[in-house]
This record gives sequence, structure tokens and C-alpha cells, in this order.
Amino acid sequence: MLDRLEKVREEGFLRIAEAADRDALEAVRKELTGKKSALQEVLKSLGGLEPEMRKSVGMKSNEVKNMFAEKIQARADELIASASAAEGEIDLTLPGIQVSEGALHPITQMCYDLNDAFRSLGFEIYSEDDISSEKFAFDNLNFAADHPARASMDTYWLEGTEDKRGNERLCLRPHLTGGSVRYLLEHGAPARFVYPGRVYRNETTDARHERAFFQYEALIVDKDISFSSGRVMIETILEKVFGRKVNVRMREGFFPFTEPGYEIDMECLLCGGKGCKACNHAGWIEVMPGGVIHPNVLRAANLDPDVWTGFYTNIGLDRMVMMRYGVDDVRLFHSADLRFLKQFK
Amino acid sequence: MNISINFLKRYVDLPSDLSYEQLSYDLTMRTVEVEEFIRTADKFHDIVVGEIKEIKPHPNADALKICMTDVGEDEIKQIVCGGSNLVEGHKVCVSKPGAEVVWHGEGEPVLIKETKLRGEKSYGMICAPAEVFLGDLISTKEEREIVDFTELGIECEAGQCVAEVMGLDDVILVVDNKSLSNRPDLWGHYGVAREIAAIYKIPLKELSSELPKGLPEYPVTIEEPERCNRFTATKIDNVCVKESPAWMKTLITNAGMRPINALVDITNFVLLAVGAPQHAYDSTHVDGEEIIVRLAEDGEKLLLLDEKDLDLTHDHLVICDSKKPLNLAGIKGGKDDSVLDSTNSVILECAVFTAPGIRRTTAYFNEKTDSALRYEKGIDTQRADLGVSMALSLFKEIYPECVFSAFTDNYPVKTENAVIDITQEFLDTRLGEVIERSEIEDILTRLGYEVSFADGTYHCIVPTWRSTGDVSIHDDILGDIARLIGYEYFKKQPLPVSFEHSVNQVGTDLARRLKEYLAFRCGMNEIFTYPWIDEKFISAAGIDTESCVKLATPPAPELGCLRASLIPGMLESIDKNSRYFEDFAIFEAAQVFEKGEYSPSSPDEVLPVHKNMLTGAFAGKDAKELFYKVKGVIEGMAGYCHFKPFTFKQKAKPSWADEKVWLNIMEGGRIAGSIGLVSVQALSASGIKLMSAAAFEIDTAVIEPYPSRTNEFKHLPQYPLVEQDLSLLVDEAVTWAEIAEAIKFMVKELKFVEEYRGKQIPAGKKSITLSLKIGNDDSTMTSKQIDKKMNGIIKVLEKKCGAQLR
Repeated sequence: MLDRLEKVREEGFLRIAEAADRDALEAVRKELTGKKSALQEVLKSLGGLEPEMRKSVGMKSNEVKNMFAEKIQARADELIASASAAEGEIDLTLPGIQVSEGALHPITQMCYDLNDAFRSLGFEIYSEDDISSEKFAFDNLNFAADHPARASMDTYWLEGTEDKRGNERLCLRPHLTGGSVRYLLEHGAPARFVYPGRVYRNETTDARHERAFFQYEALIVDKDISFSSGRVMIETILEKVFGRKVNVRMREGFFPFTEPGYEIDMECLLCGGKGCKACNHAGWIEVMPGGVIHPNVLRAANLDPDVWTGFYTNIGLDRMVMMRYGVDDVRLFHSADLRFLKQFK
Repeated sequence: MNISINFLKRYVDLPSDLSYEQLSYDLTMRTVEVEEFIRTADKFHDIVVGEIKEIKPHPNADALKICMTDVGEDEIKQIVCGGSNLVEGHKVCVSKPGAEVVWHGEGEPVLIKETKLRGEKSYGMICAPAEVFLGDLISTKEEREIVDFTELGIECEAGQCVAEVMGLDDVILVVDNKSLSNRPDLWGHYGVAREIAAIYKIPLKELSSELPKGLPEYPVTIEEPERCNRFTATKIDNVCVKESPAWMKTLITNAGMRPINALVDITNFVLLAVGAPQHAYDSTHVDGEEIIVRLAEDGEKLLLLDEKDLDLTHDHLVICDSKKPLNLAGIKGGKDDSVLDSTNSVILECAVFTAPGIRRTTAYFNEKTDSALRYEKGIDTQRADLGVSMALSLFKEIYPECVFSAFTDNYPVKTENAVIDITQEFLDTRLGEVIERSEIEDILTRLGYEVSFADGTYHCIVPTWRSTGDVSIHDDILGDIARLIGYEYFKKQPLPVSFEHSVNQVGTDLARRLKEYLAFRCGMNEIFTYPWIDEKFISAAGIDTESCVKLATPPAPELGCLRASLIPGMLESIDKNSRYFEDFAIFEAAQVFEKGEYSPSSPDEVLPVHKNMLTGAFAGKDAKELFYKVKGVIEGMAGYCHFKPFTFKQKAKPSWADEKVWLNIMEGGRIAGSIGLVSVQALSASGIKLMSAAAFEIDTAVIEPYPSRTNEFKHLPQYPLVEQDLSLLVDEAVTWAEIAEAIKFMVKELKFVEEYRGKQIPAGKKSITLSLKIGNDDSTMTSKQIDKKMNGIIKVLEKKCGAQLR
């Protein structure tokens, strides 16, 4: 009898070890310890045995039962440790299920990057309306009365107003700078704000020229400040755009609404300043104009130029985005072509 | 403008260790951007002087000769040439293999190789002037004539580079005219030399400004002194039309103009040197021996040197004799009375015309001449002194026998020096550092200012050549000082800080949240379209083009209307993208315009009404599904973007929307926008085929954002809720809103699951499946309670909506 129990144990261990998954193990458990199991049969036959024998067979049976329970538990732990939640075969190289693929326009993305940077410096974000007047687009900004930019070859005037003057001659704004006077008239000085937006020029378009394009302008107005503080704005813009410090240089430039005015060049990122095709072998790329706000502009904003000063920086967003990604045709930005736009997540 | 280094060297001795790279860089940083510099000698590589040792006939061609030529190398080279003026022992121009020449002076340069001509070896080519870029400098009588240095009296040696021989070893700095707009003083080499002298602190040669004395007057009347501030006329006799000396032709060529003849070249040279335009008239053509500067009569005619026949008007200033206009003042000479082949006496004009009139007339006739370019920047009257003096000394040099027989200086308006005071304190503050007084005085003096200092203030007398508008306020002087020190030398200063309050802009934040919601939550792509829009799409959207604000000079005739809605742009974009995509979602946020009155900054300025619109569209196959997608976007918007939820009503159908499927978006009692299927009519008129679209438009000004996030918190249920699904059979006419309204008070949550029509559903009916949750507030529901509640709900649905359980 004891031999038989030993055989049951041996076979049972084998069966447990052979159980390939948790279902099979459960079946083995029933088979080994269930009502119809060999072990149960042994227990049922206990009554017909000698007391001595009954005692030792009983003990051995319980021992085997306990051993089965332990082995099954151990095997179950083993199986869980090596189990996969996925049934059957799986091709891990198949693409994942795509997330919703909407995106902001790459120019909006750039604009928001810059907004974040400037807000961290305490700048306000302002926006001017698309339609302006000659007064705000030119007169306030110290443009000479016969400055060529005022001509319809350069600026989109509205029908019915093109022959009027000043406040009454309306246009799609040719630049953002007019908005600076609007802001200052409303809020006064000191002021620190950025004003991104789309501007319009009557131009022949090609891969590098557009009729509608985006600018990002920043202005600080305060007392007793030097134009060399303007560099912080410039470096903020470039570091945000390119993700690292970029070498810049300021050089002489001229704009009606600044005095002095300067051009800001950045080191060509392709050649590291050594000179290449992209930078016309100069090592530098002109990226933004800037300058000290002209006294006449401050006067237009009802501010006393003897008290207040400040500086502008203006950056062409289209150009920056083109440099950021290597886009080679500015017209793509207004194409609404999803083959283009879907590339920018 | 092309700036010739050789030209500059007449006025300033450049430091010997100065490279052209450095000069370009310094001018770029301090004065004006140098776009590139060109070594004129570069194109003359392998073009050298050759000495013809022997001329032999060509065995196979009568027109060709074999020239044994010394080109400065070890052996004598055999060159085949067809030149008509070959002379033994003369020095000529040889292009060696590797040189690039222009065949017969036309077309692209061609590479010279050693070759055979009619069976005879030819090492290179003996060239005509036009073939080696000398056409403007060396004239020929006939086509086959080659360059003969011996005949021209030019000293040279075999093997010497021809660029060197001809004085063409120059470097040209190229500057964009536009970047010189504000600096009339830089429109001549002398002005650039002055800047260079100031940058490197080296001497600038002085020019004579002496005028002729003691000559008889030549009658000059100025009727318009406001437009002509000064007119000098010098009569010069005993001259003729001949070639200019080589040095002058070369400098004129290098500076970007073409030599013509000595009389004209002198005027052009002076223009390039000091920026004072001049004109020479054939004095025998000046009727009545007098000059009158007057406005043209309407209808008066003038034939220009470039053969353009002008119809003049009363706004055009002309230089006339007693009978007729001779010259379009300051712009271009007349063909009949300027220098002619037969001219032997000239009236030399050196005048100063004021900028506005020149600009108007130039634009009117589209005549952008070198002279007009200078006048339209504003020239000081004193410049004529330099101009006359330089021109007359050139006449004496080139025509030693000439006679100055009359001179007049009619000078009604003199350019006044601007006078500007600038304080040390202002400079210190604005420059951000203290610059020594001696440094400031030195910089300004080198630029031509007269400076005195007293009581902390620099008293500056601005030179006249900067006093025509360029320098007028102390900020201009600040700019001169800053640029000459060099912006790169100023230390970066921290931004001034004045944190009175944090920047909190709910409107700006809302605009961004809306865009980010549509892009990131709703899977839509942001697009940009132009504000002018093809009338085809405006009409397709059912908008009257007459109601649109219009451009005076639109980019194209069909693009004259400015957008009053973003829907037409959506239609155009759907049309474009439908070629590549089967379903997609796009949105745009931009301003649209309506006729009306709006004054953002001052009551005097009245603009059209602007609206900040947010518009989007889903395009694809299943119209109903598209509509519900759009509806879902608008329903979810308020929660994610933090404002009070919208409701929907049918109040006013948007012009672009489907007859049935549209709703207005309501904010309180106001219509904030619309959603709907794009009408079949609009799709068809836009050329969109096999595709449906649903769109929304919202006037974002109507939205009032919460001052901060205002998502409400609800306590979690303490006892479990029971979820039950019901499938109901109802009449088609019964709406979801009615069903929801009927039972919403009986349930904790109610969700629409699906609507179904099909075989098992009788006609006129539909099946609605909904999911609801019920529960007690104070205990777990028993199964009895659940049954009772569900029966109650079903009864209410039967009674109010006629619903039957499926």
C-alpha cells in the first residue's frame, strides 16, 4: 500500500511538472487531489486495513497530499512568472495604434515657443488687428511722407481709401510696428510686450518671398536704459528657437522708426561661421532688425522722448521656421497642404 | 552701388595691412552692409601680354596667320589668328589654355584649350578687346581687330597679366542701393572714403571747392527755387568728343558705369566721386543762350537720350532754353541737345534739385537713373562746389586747350548745417557706458561734425552732407557714435525689471487653449489661408462679394475680396486636400472683415469691423458621422477650454449650411456661431466631389473665459451605482432630447449608446439604445428596488415618448 502511495506521488510530481499552463495545472490538481483521484481511493480503502498499517498509510497519504499542494503551488508560481498576457503569436514590429494626429501650424508652434520664453521674462502678449491705417502704419512711425513703402506697389490699400491720407487711408498692415503705438496709447509706459502677427506686402511671390507672412516683434519702453539691454531679447529669441546659445552680432542698420537702428546677424548654423552657400559665404545670416525707438514714434504714443526710451526687435517667423526645419519654400505656410502640415507635430 | 577700391585710394591711403575681408567686415558693422567683394582681376586669369616674334602665312587658310608669340614662357608659342591688324614685334593680348573668354564679345565665357585650326597647332588665342572684357576700354574700327598694346602706347611686358596692364586689378565692394537710402553722403566714393578714414582714424584727402572767378555770366533763371536750390552753369569751349584716358575709363567701368566719351565721362566720374550729378549740353543747341529752370507746360514734349518720348505735365521740372525743354531736371538729358558727335562747346550743369519732386517725376516716368537715385536721397547744395571744381580740373587735364568762357552760380537756397546739442548724461545712459570725451569728439570730427563742449553738453554742428534729413536729432548723433565704436564692443546689459504685477491674460490664454484643444484633443490640423480669397469660394459659401471689404490693388483680379468668413478658405483647402486624403480635419483661427465702423485706438481712425473667428471642418464620406464629430468638438470645447458650455438652437441658418443639418452655437442668448453640414450646393460650387464635410464657425469674442480653471468637483458615490442598458423602439419623430428630458430626474447618469434603423425595425420607427446608472444615496440598491426603478423608467418612457422596450 505504501509502495502504491509512493508510486502515486512519483507520477503526481511528474504530472505537475508537465502541466504547461495554469488550466492544465488546475486539471492536474483535480486529478491528483479530487474525489476520484488515486489518493482518495487509497483513503477510502483505509477502513479495511490493519490499525498499524492504517495509521502509517493515513500519515503517508496526508503527506503526499500536502506535497502535492506544495508542488502545485510552486508550479503555479513558476507558470505565472513565465506567463504572457497575450495569447498566441505576436509580431512586435507591427506599428502601434496611432494617437490622434492633429497639430498646430509650425508657425503657431514657433510663436508659442517664443511666447513662453517672453512670458517667463514678464512680457505681455498683445495683438493688433489686421487692418490698419496709414496713420498707424506709416505716419506714427516716422516714415517720410513720400516713402516708397507707402505706395500701392508695396502696401495693400483698401478699395475706396487708397487716395485718402492718414487715418482715412486703410491697409492690410505692412508690418507689426504700428501696433506698438496702439499698445502704448492704451497702456502707457513703462511697457514690455511682444506682438506676433501676420503682415502683408504687395510683392511678387517666389520660394523666398510671400505676400502674407508672420513677424514677431518685442518692445521694451522704460527710463534710462541702454540699447545694449536689447541683446537679452535677441538672445532669448534665438536660444528658444534653436535650443542653444547662438552667437549674434549687432551692426549698423536703418529703419525710419528707430534711431539708432541695427541689424542683427546670427552665426550660420550650417557652417558654424566659417562661410558656406547658405550664408553666402559670410558666416553670418541676417535674422532680425532692431533698434532704439525713434523719438517721433514715442511722441506719436504720447510719451516724452526726453523721459522714455526703448528698443524693438522684430523677427520674421517664416524665416525662423524655415531655418528650424530646412523648409525651402515660404509659400508652403499658406498652402493649407496637409502633406506639409502633418509633418510638424 | 559698386565701390572701387582703386577709386577710394584717390581719397584715402588704406592701411597696408588691411585685408579686403576686414574692410568689408568693418564697413558692414559700422556703415553699410557689403554684400560681397569682387576681385576684377579674377576673370583675367591666364590672359597675358604676348609679343609677336614672327608672322607666317597659314598653309590652308588665307584669312588666318600663324603667329610665333612670346607669352613670357620658356618657349615661343605658335598661335593661329585671324586678326586684321597683326604686326610683327607688337604686343598683343593672349588667352592661354585655361583662360575664359567671351566669343566675339557675346554669350557665356568659353574655356580656351590648346587646339588645331585648319591643321595647324594653336597654343591659345590672340584676342579682340570685347573677347577679354576690354570692349568698353579699347575701341576698334572693325570686327577683326585685335588688342594692340604697342599701337595704344601702353607699356607692358610679355607674360604680364592684362588686368594689371589695364589697371583692372581692382577690388569692388558691392553694396545694395536700398541700404544706402538714408545716407546721401555715401552715394560717391569720397563719402565712403570719409567713413573709412573715420573707422581707421586715418587722414582723408581734402578736395578743392574752388569755383571759377571773373568770368562773364551765363544767364540762368530759376523759376522754382524750392525744387532747384542751386544751378551752376559753366560754358566750356574748344572741346571735342573723344575717348577718355584709360585710367578714367577703367575707374568708371569698375564703379559699374560705361565709358561713353570724355565729355560725358567727366560728368559721370564726378558723380561717382562726390555724388554730385552733372549734365553737359551742346552749347550751340541752347537757343537764346540762356537756361531757364521751370515747370513744364501740360502737353509739352521731350525726347530723352534713351529715345523715350515724354508727355510732360505741370508737375515736371525741366531745364529749358528760351524755346524748349532740354533736360528732365536731375533725371535724364534730352537726346537733341546733350553731347553730340559734333559738339565742340558745352554748358556744364551742376545743380541741386530737391528730393520730393525728383521722386515723383522718377516714379511717373519710371526713369531710375544714377542721377535721380542721388537727388532723391537729398543732396546738400554745397556739394555742387566740389562737383564744379572737380569737373573743371578734369576738363583742364583732358582738354588742355579748352576755355572756360562763362560761369554762373544761381544759388537761391543754401543747405543749412543742422545744429544739435547732446548731453554727456544722455550719451552715458543710452550707450550704457561712459565714453571718453576725447573719443567722442574724435569720432564726430572725423565724420565732419564741428564739436564744442561746455557744461556737460556737446554742441554739434552737423556737416551739410548729413543735414538734408539724415541727422536731425541727438539720437542720430548717438547712433553715429555707437556705430563707429562698434555695436559689438558694447557689453550686454540686463533687462530692467519692474514686476508690479504678474502677467495674467485670460483672453490670450483662451485663444491658445482653443487651438491646442482642436489640435491635440480633436485631432485637427491647423491651417493658414490668405485674407484675400478667390471669389469662386466666397460665392460657393453663399456670401455676397459686394458685402466684402476690398483691396485697391489685389494680388490677382479674382482675389480682390477680403474674407468675411473663414468658410470659403475651408472650402478651398478641402478641395486641395481631397486629392491626397480621404478623411481629414482642419481648422483656422484668423480675423475676418465686415463693412462697418470700428476704432481700436483713436476715434479719428475708423476701420472696418474685425472679427476673430475660429473655424474648422471635418471632411470624409459619412455626412452624419461628420456632423456628430463636429458637434462633439463644440460640446467638449467649453470643458477643456474653461468657459461656460454652449447650447444649440436653430435660429439663423448660415449661408453655407445644409438645408436640414445645422445648428447655431449659443452663448447665453447670443449666437456665437454655427455648426452644420456643408451644403451640397457649396461643395459642388467649390469643385469638391465624392466627399462630404461638416463645419463649425465661432466668433471667439463672444466667449467669456473663466478667470481660471473651473471644472466642478462632485463627490464620489458612497454606494455602488447600477448600470443598465435599454433598447427602445420609438417613432422617428421622437428626439434624443425628449427621451433624455423625460427620465433625467430618475437617473444618476444617462448616456446615449446608439441609434439603429434596419430590417428588424418597422418603418417609421427607430431603435435607440441608452445606458443609465441608478442608485440610492443612503444604501446599496436591492434587486427589488432596481426592478421597481427600472419599471418606473420604462413606464415614463412609454408614456412621454411612446417608447417600447425592444
